[in-house]
Amino acid sequence: MGGFVTSSAFKRTQRALQALVGLVVINVVFLVLAPSYRQVANFTTILSNATVLGCLAAGSTIVIISGGLDLSIGSIIALVSVVVGYMLMLEVPVYLAILAGLGTGALCGLISGFIIVSTGIPSFIGTLGMMMAVRGAAEIIGAGKDMSAFPGSFSMLGSGYVIPVAIMAVAFILVAIFLSQTRLGFNAFAIGGNAEVARLSGISVKKNQVLYYLLGGLFAGLAAVIETSRLDFAQSSRGSGQELNSIAAVIIGGTTMAGGMGGVGRTVIGVLIMTSLSAGLSHLGVGSSWQRIAIGIVIILAVWIDTFQRHRASKA
Amino acid sequence: MKKVNMKALLIVAVMALGFGASAWAQTKTIAYVGHATSNTFWNRLGAMAKAEAGAQGVKFLDLTPPEPNPDEQKKAVENAILQKVSGIIIGATDNRAFGETLKKAKAAKIPVVAVDTGIDDPIVQSLVQTDNLKSARIAGKYIVERMTKPGKILILGGTLGHQTGDARRDGVAQMAMDAGITVIYRACDWDETKAYETCQNELAANPDITAIFGAWDPAAMAARAVVKEKGLMGKIVICGFDGNPANLKAIKAGEINATVKQDNDRMGKQAVDLIIKINKGEAVDKFYPIDGFIIDKTNVDKYM
Repeated sequence: MGGFVTSSAFKRTQRALQALVGLVVINVVFLVLAPSYRQVANFTTILSNATVLGCLAAGSTIVIISGGLDLSIGSIIALVSVVVGYMLMLEVPVYLAILAGLGTGALCGLISGFIIVSTGIPSFIGTLGMMMAVRGAAEIIGAGKDMSAFPGSFSMLGSGYVIPVAIMAVAFILVAIFLSQTRLGFNAFAIGGNAEVARLSGISVKKNQVLYYLLGGLFAGLAAVIETSRLDFAQSSRGSGQELNSIAAVIIGGTTMAGGMGGVGRTVIGVLIMTSLSAGLSHLGVGSSWQRIAIGIVIILAVWIDTFQRHRASKA
Repeated sequence: MKKVNMKALLIVAVMALGFGASAWAQTKTIAYVGHATSNTFWNRLGAMAKAEAGAQGVKFLDLTPPEPNPDEQKKAVENAILQKVSGIIIGATDNRAFGETLKKAKAAKIPVVAVDTGIDDPIVQSLVQTDNLKSARIAGKYIVERMTKPGKILILGGTLGHQTGDARRDGVAQMAMDAGITVIYRACDWDETKAYETCQNELAANPDITAIFGAWDPAAMAARAVVKEKGLMGKIVICGFDGNPANLKAIKAGEINATVKQDNDRMGKQAVDLIIKINKGEAVDKFYPIDGFIIDKTNVDKYM
């Protein structure tokens, strides 16, 4: 009994460590190859560039662990961006605009979750539909408006690296506590592992799933607030493709697409891997198209290694 | 029995709608497919075109997609062809994306006029465009005169290979290289988030960048945010292209140096006039270059 627990615990830790090793290797390679990578300013930039994706991926981690998938979070970023931007231009107090933004994100997640559990359609399709609808709503609200040059108290949230990183850190800590210390968090793993078994063991699967999508939307809202603050202007074209980056970060970090296992600590590593790659390739003078190829290769490698190991584990 | 009646009713209703729609389209309508409704430059161009169409007694159909997307534009043009419009104005996101669709327009005898970005196809009868290269040279000269030297210039570009994006890059790059200044060019796909991150990464990799040129105004806004955050405001010359309201506001506040204003009012009006001329059988030139001009702190008030 003890031996069994030890070996599977070891395998879990091993998977988590792999991503960490990957992160270290990538950074060492860039440190060696690119002289301009070797400065403190580079690492603070990597951290500050990681904050938007980080908050987004924190929410995605919950959804993916529970066996779900939300493709609409990129569009949620767009909607929240214009909602917050619009309210700030109307001179609504900053804290209210932020709350409205977070609320909008949570609401979108709630709607996605509700659609998926009540119709039973696959999360891929349901959130794909939401992705388009939410983007449409963002475009209507944002059309032709100049939303820029926000009040200092708002710009503070995204400027530099200290505050945004602190916000991202709090987000990750909250998600970590949720997943490891709360009943609802435990349930996410159970539902992701086997939803039917979870239901039979007394978990109200549908209600919980709606909550997980809501949380995913809430964190997308947080990501949007940080990004709108950083760029200091709002536009409905934000967040395009970010849902895929978020899922990539979660997978590269070591949480599996199938659900049932993983953790937010791994997502942190996945986010840092992607941001380091982007920064390092820039320092090497590599253009954005090659950067895309590089990240694509890393995703495929990460999923391949993950699939390979799960195969081996199930044979053992 | 009831079922058959419903079906017949439905068929008649659909036919009536179809006839009604095509009858509407017989009165002259000009279709407009701009970059994106999220872009103030294209909205204004469309608005000016619509006003000119109205003044000439012609209907105006705005089929601009909400975001820059060549596929969506292609679909919008096909939509316009199906609606049998009298002319299509295209502001191409990707000038290479239309191919077969243009042949369909020619077959339907619908004239096509390009605005802002040239489409390399003889079917397109005219191009109304800011002379992007000339205007970018003006911007390049402006930037080179004011940037701290020695220093590098970072160009935040559009999509790789895009005719307008390339012309704007080349204009600025030529002036920079003539002055012996190193140019760093990064394609940003007309995406301001990409422009922001590129700016962050490049400034970290090249602390000797003393000027940033955004090939479209939101890129200059992104550069402004990065420069402000790094406390380099005033030390780096920032120049955009398009003359968008947010940028004019920033120029007045002294946070962006300049932008190149395209005369999108004239462009919209000219495009509509050309379609009407072609419909009347008059000859039109292949190219109508319209000059852009610099807006900076000295003249920004006139345009706000």
